[in-house]
Amino acid sequence: MSPSPFEQARLDFDAGTLVLHGWSQEGIDRVFPHDLWHWDLRIQAFRTEAMHYPTVRALLEKKSVGTLLALERWQSICFAKNELPELRLEQVAAVEAWSRERRGIIVMPTGTGKTEVALRIITDSSCSTLVVAPIRDLMYQWHRRILRSLDYDAGIIGDNTYNVKALSVTTYDSACIHMPTLGNRFKLIIFDECHHLPGRVRRDAAQMSMAPMRLGLTATLERADGKHADLERLLGPVRYRLEIQQVRGKSLADYDVFRVPVHLSEVERERYDRLAAEIQTYYFQRIQEDPSFDWETLCAESNSDPVSRRALQSFREKKSIEDRAEEKLRVLEDLFRLHQGSPILVFTGSNAMAREISKRFLVPCLLSHCGKRERLDYLEGLRDGRYPVLVANRILDEGVDLPEVKVAIIVGGMASSKQAKQRLGRVLRKSGDSRAILYEVVTSETNEVIRSRKRRSSDAYTGTRHRRL
Amino acid sequence: MLTREHAIVAYEGDHAIPDRLTSQKHRHYLPLAARMCAAYREGKGQTRQSLHRAIERIFADELDCPNRRVAAFCKLLDESSEFIQDEKGNAAKLRQAVFSAAAPLHPLVTNADPFFENDMATAHRVISETIGKSWPEIDDELFSDLIEFQRMKTFAELEDPKDLLSRYNVAQVQVALFDALRMTIWASSDLKSILRYAKLARLMHRIERLSDGTYRFDFDGPASLLNRSHRYGVAMARFLPGLLSCRGWKMRAILQPARWHRKVFLDLDDSSGLKSPVEPVSGFDSKVEENFFHQWNAAPRMGWRLERESEILHHGQKTFVPDFVFVHEDGRRVLFEVIGFWTPEYLQQKWETLQLFQDKRILLAIAKSIHAKLPIHTTSVVLYKTEISVDEVVKQLVVS
Repeated sequence: MSPSPFEQARLDFDAGTLVLHGWSQEGIDRVFPHDLWHWDLRIQAFRTEAMHYPTVRALLEKKSVGTLLALERWQSICFAKNELPELRLEQVAAVEAWSRERRGIIVMPTGTGKTEVALRIITDSSCSTLVVAPIRDLMYQWHRRILRSLDYDAGIIGDNTYNVKALSVTTYDSACIHMPTLGNRFKLIIFDECHHLPGRVRRDAAQMSMAPMRLGLTATLERADGKHADLERLLGPVRYRLEIQQVRGKSLADYDVFRVPVHLSEVERERYDRLAAEIQTYYFQRIQEDPSFDWETLCAESNSDPVSRRALQSFREKKSIEDRAEEKLRVLEDLFRLHQGSPILVFTGSNAMAREISKRFLVPCLLSHCGKRERLDYLEGLRDGRYPVLVANRILDEGVDLPEVKVAIIVGGMASSKQAKQRLGRVLRKSGDSRAILYEVVTSETNEVIRSRKRRSSDAYTGTRHRRL
Repeated sequence: MLTREHAIVAYEGDHAIPDRLTSQKHRHYLPLAARMCAAYREGKGQTRQSLHRAIERIFADELDCPNRRVAAFCKLLDESSEFIQDEKGNAAKLRQAVFSAAAPLHPLVTNADPFFENDMATAHRVISETIGKSWPEIDDELFSDLIEFQRMKTFAELEDPKDLLSRYNVAQVQVALFDALRMTIWASSDLKSILRYAKLARLMHRIERLSDGTYRFDFDGPASLLNRSHRYGVAMARFLPGLLSCRGWKMRAILQPARWHRKVFLDLDDSSGLKSPVEPVSGFDSKVEENFFHQWNAAPRMGWRLERESEILHHGQKTFVPDFVFVHEDGRRVLFEVIGFWTPEYLQQKWETLQLFQDKRILLAIAKSIHAKLPIHTTSVVLYKTEISVDEVVKQLVVS
């Protein structure tokens, strides 16, 4: 028998990439598509991204050339318990759509049970699985959901813990850091809120993984930077999409939006007007000198020019007045009176405002510094009625499971369609027939009003009723 | 290290120029640095927030001070300080107690009325009694675990306030390197140190010897050739202090700042004046080596000059820089390695290295006490006890 040209050929997983030893360029050209492998001079071998593993493996097996393929370190799992609730029709459709290729994205609005869909896919697959969540809270939430439904104490990778198990949960940042060593441990990888994935470093969490089965979950696929287009390469195409209008009145409660304008106090108004005038004068002068003058130029100049710096500082101060207007606290007091006995969520535009409300009303505020136990106590406390109100900055923007809140108040905050959808998702939990109410407390005659208008024009609000109070 | 939020980089043409405070243009920063150090020295017991406010006040009337520069000084001073951390979670426990005690009183209104009878003052009194602390105490401790409210315990005084400015300059180059895709270094000395620091930072290398005998190193990471990964920029930043402690090099990093479509260069060399926080590794491994080096070069024999660590043997990602190279006038070169110090692991590793490069002729000087422990079968060995004999070495060089 003549010696095979592929003798000693070996495929390795190396620091989040695949390395193919013992192959010639001719062999590569014969078996693999063009541009898949790159010659790595540094190690005298071919290298490619770990995510191409399914393609590489299929071709190696098909052409049967005896390359050593012992790099998979995943296993099958047998769950002791399987107590998943019966899926609704749209959830069943989502599972089926994904299961045909076992790669791709499911788009469903917040509150329509994405987690249950994912849990069903995890139990159907019964193999080593990594769930990647945007923040620690959500990571722990996945851990709890898995424990409750499958009686499985999932591994935790992140928040100063590194405990890898066949079924593990992690955050995007930790997944990105550890994927060079974990990329061959999981056969199924699930990205919760997967619109976070295409960030320039975060995408490594998908690129450096060998997982042949990939699931992306999101309520809001589109990114302002257009990078959601890359998700198809990283996870697969959209397999199922459920629009928010399809579910309103079925899975989600109907909701009303009330805008509550507040006025600045006299002192605040005086300072606000002075700052606004300062900025306007400065801007007018500059634009006359140079019509291309814009915000970026101002930021750049502020490094060296004290006048620009003062203009920038004035702008920040002006925004901070909007954010923390005293009157907002009085409006909150009125709303708390009005809805006494009903749990209320308050979203703020800054940590400082969240703390101010917390100190004024002595109600818990959920900030990023809260430890695991404290967060859990606040979330459960609101559910059990032990706490009347929970204040949060942007931490609750995404997916944190909340009790059935019917009243939410937005106090300041950025205008963006994605945030609006996710914030709304929080108050739209279905419970009986009652409608949810969303209040927006905005400073009148300031930029916040403009942001509020922008927010309401987003898709999530279409068809809701708006009223001024 | 600083974070991206502190980065100040100017772009001139194709070049990235990290913010740099120089003694000519920024002479007035010296007294400012002294005032900053004093603020921290005298700031024990203060919160991080009030320390930062104090630093901001120092710069209030300065014309030339971007916000990021001030924030960077705060970060660097914080790194020299230790803050009291609420390890037992007392503040969190207090919060839970206060919020639980306040819950039945909700909502706390400004003016009590028949429907809502709990105003703030009443609530504060009730909660104080329940918890057993005065309200001002509670108010002070309620969020004391937040990073900005942590109180400073110790400040490691800088030798010279000027050091703060030096640290700042190095830190700005580091943070600019976060955007680096690749780093190239041309080096004529300290090759061993450069490779060692790069390895410590977990960078991968390509090594090329140039016609003039100097070296070119390309540093990046495993995935760099696949997708222009940015994930190794932090490793390059970590490598920088080590590099700055070396001599005889110039560096060019290729950066791609976020949201930019074009690439820019960051150039640096050993004359930059940036002060490394790392001590230079100047010394010889042992007195034996140092003596031999000086003895030989004081009177070179038969046209052989002795160079230190000037040649790299490399095989894939494994490298070996022999202690010395004999260079003859006619261009012949003989590698020379001294093996004196030992531990079992060291000898094992040395043996493996020599095996890997066994096709190269390496003259070995081995301490007599070790020789038996090292299973090396080569004729090119000079044994020594306290000093390497010049004559013995000459004999070996004649053979080559």
